Amino acid sequence: MLKKITLNVNGDDHTLAVRPNETLQDLLRIGLGLTGTKKGCESGVCGACTVLIDGEPRNSCIVLAVSADGKKITTIEGLAKEGKLHPLQASFIHNGAVQCGYCTPGMLMSAKALIDKNPNPSEEEIKRAFGGNLCRCTGYVKIIEAIKGWKDFSGDKLNDVAGEKTESVGRSLHRKDAPDKVTGRARYTGDMSLPGMLHGKILTSPVAHAKVKSIDTSAAEKLPGVKAVITWKDVSEILYGVSPARYDEHVLAKDRVRYVGDEIAAVAAVDEATAAKAVALIKVEFESLPEVFTIDDAMKAGAPVLHEKYPTNVNVDVNYTFGDMEKGFAEADLVLEQRYKGNRTYQSPMEPHATLARWEANGRLTIWTSTQVPHYVQHMLARVLEIPMGRIRVIRPAVGGGFGVKAETTPLDFCSVYLAKKTGRPVMMKYDRKEMLHHGRGRHMQYIDLKIGVKKDGTITAVDQTAYLDGGAYTSFGIVATYYSGAMVPTLYKLPNYKFKGHRVYTNLPACGAFRGHGCPHPRFAFESMLSIIAEKLGLDDIEIRLKNAMTPNSLTANELEVISCEFKATLEQAREASGWREKKGKLPRGKGIGVGCGGFVSGAGYPIYRSDFPHSNAMIRVLEDGTASTLFIAASDIGQGSDTVLCQVAAEELGVPYDSILMSDCDSDIAPLDLGTYSSRVTLMAGNAVKMAAANVKSKLFAFTGAKLGVDPESLTAKGGRVFVKNEPAVGMPWDEAARLAFSQGGPLVGTGCYQPPKLGGKHKGAAVGTSPAYSFGTTIVEVEVDLETGKTKVTDCTDYHDSGKVLNPSAFHGQVHGAVVMSIGETLTENVQFTKEGDVANATLNDYLIPTSMETPRIHSGFVESYEPRGPFGAKEVGEGAALPVIGALANAIYDATGVRITELPITAEKVLNGLKALKK
Amino acid sequence: MHIKELEYHTPVSLAEACALLSSGGPGAKIFAGGTDILPDLKRNRINAGSLISLAALDGLKKIEKRGAALWIGPLVSPDTLDRSALVREIFPGLSEAAASMAANQVRGMATTGGNLCSAVPSADLPPSLLTAEAELVLTSSAGERRLALKDFFLGPRKTALRQDEILTGILIPEFPRGTGTAYDKFQARDASALAIAGAAARLTVKDNKIVKALVAIGACAPTPLLLAAAGEFLTGKEPTEQNFARAGELAAQGVKPISDIRGSEQYRRDICRVLTIRVLRRALTCSKR
Repeated sequence: MLKKITLNVNGDDHTLAVRPNETLQDLLRIGLGLTGTKKGCESGVCGACTVLIDGEPRNSCIVLAVSADGKKITTIEGLAKEGKLHPLQASFIHNGAVQCGYCTPGMLMSAKALIDKNPNPSEEEIKRAFGGNLCRCTGYVKIIEAIKGWKDFSGDKLNDVAGEKTESVGRSLHRKDAPDKVTGRARYTGDMSLPGMLHGKILTSPVAHAKVKSIDTSAAEKLPGVKAVITWKDVSEILYGVSPARYDEHVLAKDRVRYVGDEIAAVAAVDEATAAKAVALIKVEFESLPEVFTIDDAMKAGAPVLHEKYPTNVNVDVNYTFGDMEKGFAEADLVLEQRYKGNRTYQSPMEPHATLARWEANGRLTIWTSTQVPHYVQHMLARVLEIPMGRIRVIRPAVGGGFGVKAETTPLDFCSVYLAKKTGRPVMMKYDRKEMLHHGRGRHMQYIDLKIGVKKDGTITAVDQTAYLDGGAYTSFGIVATYYSGAMVPTLYKLPNYKFKGHRVYTNLPACGAFRGHGCPHPRFAFESMLSIIAEKLGLDDIEIRLKNAMTPNSLTANELEVISCEFKATLEQAREASGWREKKGKLPRGKGIGVGCGGFVSGAGYPIYRSDFPHSNAMIRVLEDGTASTLFIAASDIGQGSDTVLCQVAAEELGVPYDSILMSDCDSDIAPLDLGTYSSRVTLMAGNAVKMAAANVKSKLFAFTGAKLGVDPESLTAKGGRVFVKNEPAVGMPWDEAARLAFSQGGPLVGTGCYQPPKLGGKHKGAAVGTSPAYSFGTTIVEVEVDLETGKTKVTDCTDYHDSGKVLNPSAFHGQVHGAVVMSIGETLTENVQFTKEGDVANATLNDYLIPTSMETPRIHSGFVESYEPRGPFGAKEVGEGAALPVIGALANAIYDATGVRITELPITAEKVLNGLKALKK
Repeated sequence: MHIKELEYHTPVSLAEACALLSSGGPGAKIFAGGTDILPDLKRNRINAGSLISLAALDGLKKIEKRGAALWIGPLVSPDTLDRSALVREIFPGLSEAAASMAANQVRGMATTGGNLCSAVPSADLPPSLLTAEAELVLTSSAGERRLALKDFFLGPRKTALRQDEILTGILIPEFPRGTGTAYDKFQARDASALAIAGAAARLTVKDNKIVKALVAIGACAPTPLLLAAAGEFLTGKEPTEQNFARAGELAAQGVKPISDIRGSEQYRRDICRVLTIRVLRRALTCSKR
């Protein structure tokens, strides 16, 4: 029965008929189209849906619309007044507090409620007020700064910040997408709506391993409102996955399910509730098969086999040796061996996956998807649907974070496409939090058996590492993860002799995939832990032993990776100075500790995921006819990290025009040329190079016309600060826009293109392609902790991070990546762990059970950079996004040891483990 | 995640609410803050044919002195408990428990009555209210009855509340002079996480002798537990570190924790011991105000 309610939303009165089971969140988003109020967890934990009800912050997902009768509601859309940003919004933009933007509306509403009561909140008060607003990108640091400094901003002032300078790179210019994100205008896939749109839902397996005997969809089909039900009979039988060598996934299970969450059928209905109801009506008959849930069980002789092609369950096997291991260990004065265990962690981006698919009247497919890799989605859909890529248009709207979990084609992509085909209507599909964790693709849990040999002076003579990776039920990114687990170890330190074995094992759990640092954080944790143990045993300082073995510029690593720029040693030295290491190490009272860890990463993978000769990044720039703006067309995928902004800075710098005159096109495969997307920290270097080339191409065309007009050699011209002029005679020239008008008038559209293909990289051994990159980043993190000696709980109080990211194109975005990486890694070290029931179901699939850090967990973070110049990067730039995460786990393990004497070798380092360690020390 | 179809009532009197509840049958549920029931409905953890909102019953939203006792209406939010000068003065341990809950948004929406009636073992308010020897007023069309809070919790999500009853008040008897209260919880994350253990203590101290001691623990048994052994041990003794340590041991022995995703049985006992000692120390300080 509908209820009539009257409420005021953002100053407008509405009288509406609502269903009693409707949430205020749905009323705002669907009923009123106010999609700035985000949907993150639907259970009152994440705070992305925070609105003000009579001035108080409330989670609109756990408020019934009927109970809002007579109330005054303010949403993010009501924060700016008369076209002027609220000072909080301006402060968020200016302080770089916006990344993916999905938490931003909720953050701003909580901030508004806070400052209305307390205009000068302290840092502690802010942190406490935001415990219910989760963010996965920023580490909360800049959000807290933005709220502290809100009074400094007004909408007018914001516009002046760009300033007078002519340079675009190396400056903390405002993000291109920030104004849309702080006002609730940014549209994420799940915010979209099309006429006639249906809602889809997937039926997944409730059991971990079984034969599917029959699927009865009749009851679901009869449910009013259901428009289509699909099973394996309705979809392609072509297997898909990530790496061509291991395509092992069915779009929908035909005769077998391999984990709780395996996809069996899908439904499209008039609304989400009906689709959910219909899914529950599908009857599946299973015949149980024995299950394996651990690496150890799966590798036993006679263990149940998941895929017949891999009778030992080991689906990736790596084995290589560089140098002479026997000789290396013989030269060592000290050899240590230890097994380290990682944890299964989940990316937990604030935006759940979503896909919207529509078949056009002309037979083409359009898909809007929350993805890091639009091109791979297009490629994989073409493969599985057996249609040319030219019939598929992939559009990536704003994406609310990914961290690797959105780096592959998902069941939502496939099912929405098939359901849209069957119904002839657009179909929207989304995951909720539980479905995200069921789908998986989080970090592989690894065992690392590590053996390091060193001389008395700390020089490493040999390293032998064997990794076992829990892969889950399918391969996903598993080949790369397994190779990376070993390939990246020798990039940081000089290892004269190095042996690596890797084994990835199938288990009846959700498949593991790519997650920030891809395969490397657990080996890094092991290595950094052991290096500090070695230092202690040899009486050396932790930092000295690292300096002794540190990688240097223009080196070839043990596994034949080319390192050109490298300021690793400087990051160690600067972090040591800035953290006060010498005054603190070994001198802090019991319960307090300091620890160091190091890490670095590739700046883009040297080879694509499937074999092709296509350039990895491609860009076009079209100058507007009157020369006052230029549009950058590139399909590199900004998922929150700020790459669109950095690419616009590169374009502006190379063109010699103001940053504000660069416009970013939509990420649409019909409009922008192929780019491999956001993974392996590749965008700044690779897409940056493509953009720089496109801009240079524009300039060379422009200069031809300008040169002719001025009567000078085009080669003598340059462009800077909005002018084209003779390099040696700056007075001879003309305004940039005038030059562009001339070019258009005489030559038609002024368009430049650029394409980037990495040089041929790597050695000749099997798997030599993995780990190759045009450039590597390096970094050092020093953390300080306080451990409660009675409970074992660790509080991270301080963090000092120095990173060699080459030339830093946007310092604010750089620090934002570091803050986010540090806080995420604190979570991965201390509290995050995907756990399972004995039946193999995820046991902690909510955001108050899977514990990502809140604002309360954010330490003081000092982020600095040591600029190198990377000749292969645009203006000398390299990556930061993944590299900054890698040092943290080891640094924390070392700091906890310093504070307690307890050495934990198994992640996460929970309070319970530390307390048990303290008890063991007493005995 | 969706809530199944249901009816929603907004009675304007307690009598009307009681009538709706008794006529609604087992599917009729009282709706207060909604912070537990709506996620539960979305996850199909419970079924509700109708929700009876108490929002219009202003009488249930008060905190006041009733005679010597402190009266807390069931619709008082944790945020209000935390900010109430009266509660802070009389029963600081309860303010602390309220302040430790969930996150800002939820603290403002949730209710004291809901935190009791949901009977989630890890709930934050029950331990403090148990140490206060709180009494509940339960109202139905047939009339009103009083029940000691210690007899209210029957198991996880199970209470002595009858299907036709509404919790309409929480009465806290006056604390004697020299009484101190405290609450502390242990959670893996410092906001928006469930307690691995929570401990409340109330001490009345006279002439350096403990005349009355109560210790209660949350999240370490199917229900919040009043630990009689710890309280009895302390009564008549001096408030020393040694005695507190012994009380901590007794608390750790008295709980019945399970091992789950948040911690093992043994770890919960360890935490109980530590928290008990900590809240006793703080209750002692508080008693000297």
